[in-house]
Amino acid sequence: MASRPASGHALHLHGVSLQFGDGRGITGLSLSVAAGERVVVLGPSGAGKTSLLRAVAGLTSIDSGSVRLGTVDVTHLPPERRDIVYLHQSPVLFSHLSVDENVAFPLRVRGERGQAVHARVSAALSAMRIGELGARATHTLSGGQRHRVALARAIAGRPGALLLDEPLSALDPTLRHEVREAIVAAQEEYGPAMMLVTHDLDDAGRLADRVAVLLDGRIAQVSTPAQLFARPATLAVARFLGLYQEVPGRIRADGAVASPLGVLAADALYATPLVAAQVVVAVRVEGLYVGPPAEEAVTGTVVAFRHRPGGTTAVVRLASGDQALELEATIPSRDASPSIGDVVGLTLDPRTPLVFPAAAPSCST
Amino acid sequence: MRAVLLVLLAFTSAGPLLLLVVQSLGGSWFFPALLPMDWSLDAWRFRAGGDAILRALGTSLALAVTTAILACAVAIPLGRSLARLRGWPRHLAAAAAFLPVAAPPLALGTGLQVVLLGLGLGGSLAGVLLAHSVPAIGYLTLLFLGTFTLFDARVEDESRTLGATRAQTWLRVTLPLLRPQIAEALIVGFLVSWTQFALTLVVGGGEVRALPIEVFAYVRSGQDQRAAVGALLLVIPPAAAFVALRWAARRTVVALS
Repeated sequence: MASRPASGHALHLHGVSLQFGDGRGITGLSLSVAAGERVVVLGPSGAGKTSLLRAVAGLTSIDSGSVRLGTVDVTHLPPERRDIVYLHQSPVLFSHLSVDENVAFPLRVRGERGQAVHARVSAALSAMRIGELGARATHTLSGGQRHRVALARAIAGRPGALLLDEPLSALDPTLRHEVREAIVAAQEEYGPAMMLVTHDLDDAGRLADRVAVLLDGRIAQVSTPAQLFARPATLAVARFLGLYQEVPGRIRADGAVASPLGVLAADALYATPLVAAQVVVAVRVEGLYVGPPAEEAVTGTVVAFRHRPGGTTAVVRLASGDQALELEATIPSRDASPSIGDVVGLTLDPRTPLVFPAAAPSCST
Repeated sequence: MRAVLLVLLAFTSAGPLLLLVVQSLGGSWFFPALLPMDWSLDAWRFRAGGDAILRALGTSLALAVTTAILACAVAIPLGRSLARLRGWPRHLAAAAAFLPVAAPPLALGTGLQVVLLGLGLGGSLAGVLLAHSVPAIGYLTLLFLGTFTLFDARVEDESRTLGATRAQTWLRVTLPLLRPQIAEALIVGFLVSWTQFALTLVVGGGEVRALPIEVFAYVRSGQDQRAAVGALLLVIPPAAAFVALRWAARRTVVALS
């Protein structure tokens, strides 16, 4: 975790179960967020991320388990007594109040008046770099300013924990960058525990100290973003991340894995202990390269190109194997760029593939 | 063609009011004269304290203001509760609110009279107030049902997690955000009572002399000038409400999704 002020409290979820939607639910979820830490809950749409945050904030109830902020069990406290602020996906400002009064709201409702309020409001607005907007009506603010005001209001009362529900979704890239900066600045103001939910890997990677992947109502993995993206704990996590291509494989007697990409040495990076002969080899685009066909290399035919922000990749149909297998591979240099129909060799970076049992094991907390 | 239609519209909307003005200022006026033979301000001279029109005006104002406030006080929480219902209970509740709005006032008054007489409120101001409140609550409940259906409940969630209690959220966030709708509802409630004739007549039994009753009495007794004055007074609040609502509609900025 990055070094930053941590005057908030740690947020602990222990064995939390709750129902949402049409009979779906979260079961026995345990997760802790340290003071000053940012934990991103990452999961697909409909995984229950928002339901989880709302339950932690006290806006809905949980079926079992407990929520603790510092040493205080807040499970059965109403939202206003939890010291946990929940921010919706799009900023919800009180349109009948000015920016100043919006930011002062959490202080006013607890009875604070006078210069102390003014000082806290100014500090919160300054932290969000919108000190000049205090007198403005909320309907005159731009999208980025609205986010900043909502964050300033959230930190003005210095709650122990902040919960942010998909704060960056539906924002254009410029505004996304601005709001991301504001979120970091808001937390660095005094270091509350911060829990964010998103389904966006990029947001998770940029904001999280740790990422908790929520799949099928359970936490499937908790790790740093770097660990998560490099070593997803299960095939289900790898599939959710969408960073890997799957190649069928089989464990040989010597422990090596035979696959259409060749034989992977026994010391290949196994993500999970293997118990099955049939396996799935997960390969990243960045770990697979096209090159000139060589005798010892796996060869295939280029059938398409995909143009991505990071560069163009080639889709290669493998020449060998029982069934057609198409894999996306990196083109190492523009000079070596093949054409459609070219036969190319595929080289696998031995450090990047992961091997999982073919039948994905159930996720564990 | 358009000019003809506009003249027709002006005649049907402003014509009767213009005639009322002329009639209130005219003395003798017999068919087929186009205008009164003499003019007088007599009908506009009110006897302070003892004038029947002024008393009726006061009664109507008191009834309309009280009805508006009472109906709002009931309809706001009722509309909010109904907005949370889903499926057939919601349809049933909306139909129940619509019933007193759709029912002819005479029918409503006849039914209510039985109950109010039983309560000893027949012919009393309180009885008429309750009778006026029935359609007013219906109207306003439907209005607030729509308002709360569209109301963005996220503002209340956010308020609560920012530390506001349920009561603080209601007083500091919800009600202020609904100020334009509440003002509109007060005007509608006022007008529902202000324009009641049949309900006042049936439940009030002639004892409660609201302005419409007084005007009707002048018409029946042939005091056309006084009837015209009373009728013009009746028109003022709806005209003012029309202006106010048009003005408010342009200024309304609320947290409605």
